[in-house]
Amino acid sequence: MSGKPADTLLKAKDYKSEVKPVWCPGCGHFAVLSATTKALAHLGLPQKDVAMISGIGCSSRLPAYVSVYGFHGVHGRALAVASGLKAARPELTVLVAGGDGDGFSIGGNHFLHACRRNMDMTYIVMDNEVYGMTKGQASPTTSPDWAESKLTPHGPGVPSFNPAAIALASGATFIARGFTGKPNDLAKLLVDAIQHPGFSFIQALSPCTTFRPDQNDWKKIVRPFEQEATDDPVEAAKRIHADDGMSTGLLYQTKVPVWQPERSVRAQIDQLELGFQV
Amino acid sequence: MNENDPSIIRDIPDFLAHAIALEFESVERYQELADSMDVHNNPRVAELFRKLAHYGELHAHEIEHHALGIDLPEISPWDFKWCTPEGPESGTLEGVHYMMNRRQVLEYALCNEQRGRDFYAGVAEFSPDEGVRELAAEFAREETEHVNILKSWLLNLVEPDSVRPADLDPPNIPE
Repeated sequence: MSGKPADTLLKAKDYKSEVKPVWCPGCGHFAVLSATTKALAHLGLPQKDVAMISGIGCSSRLPAYVSVYGFHGVHGRALAVASGLKAARPELTVLVAGGDGDGFSIGGNHFLHACRRNMDMTYIVMDNEVYGMTKGQASPTTSPDWAESKLTPHGPGVPSFNPAAIALASGATFIARGFTGKPNDLAKLLVDAIQHPGFSFIQALSPCTTFRPDQNDWKKIVRPFEQEATDDPVEAAKRIHADDGMSTGLLYQTKVPVWQPERSVRAQIDQLELGFQV
Repeated sequence: MNENDPSIIRDIPDFLAHAIALEFESVERYQELADSMDVHNNPRVAELFRKLAHYGELHAHEIEHHALGIDLPEISPWDFKWCTPEGPESGTLEGVHYMMNRRQVLEYALCNEQRGRDFYAGVAEFSPDEGVRELAAEFAREETEHVNILKSWLLNLVEPDSVRPADLDPPNIPE
């Protein structure tokens, strides 16, 4: 049973906006939308206190479909925008959403530094191993031998990016993997991630039914991690590298101080202007 | 399943909370699919999903009526005692496609109703509470009626399997 206060009135559907998703029917991202709204309802967060930031891509349309504050930003820059928002408005619950291309390629550098900066925000990456919005090109997480794109007819030929390993190496303090075929488990992960003090990262395996119909078989191979989450980064690294990327649940969680820039005023405008006088 | 199984539903409020969630989640999924099919220019399938959502909503309100005056527990999404990843009547995401036809929609809905029926039948068999067993058996009978209705719709559907809307912008997959 939930520990939600009895006077909480908002239900999951109240967190859905009036905008109808343009995602293909059967897209895993619908389950992320569902999990997000369920998580917000479970936590009873007022809509005015939540902001969802995204970049570009199919998954980055998520803020339009959730009735909280949203910002559909520039490709790969969701984490940069979110960091700025969190710095200015630390009282907000900041959620960041995007895809594997937006987060790990165009925004890859921001991902590294968001992990090590450890600002209190939650980043959910809908990973379908493909650029869907541009009609199916290989992304950083695509396997080397995926040969279904005209741009890479023999497959990308390079090892795929390992998001959990990179997050761990970069200093992320909460690393989890979910699966859109189990949206209620994903909702629980989101609740835990939002409640985690610091940067929380969830890789959501989210099949692309149109350009990666083979991913409909993921449901047959996805399973929970065999062990409880660890707070030991060495142990976490061993587990990540021993895993095939299809184990789900919380993998690693540790507590280190959250970074939040000072908000005290150091100088008045007129003092600053003095520095620009010629 | 034994009587100590934590997945067993033991009282009426818990059962009705499950039943209401099961029905409304299913309605929400059909509405979502109808909207999505509209966006993807598959209006006949959208219309059918909307029809399913409408009938589902009528049934959901009937079940809600059973709960009048009963204090229902607040259950977290992951604490429901489903045997399926979501509510048993919520169709799976991988079961749909923007090119699906009406026959496939009815087959999809039939599977959903069968899972709903099986859920209620399981509660009717295993709950230790007699009141829960009786109510669950009643709901299972209703779901059986829905299953039979869908089977008759399928039998009477004149649309052949091969009828699909034209895809004017197909996925860019190598031949």
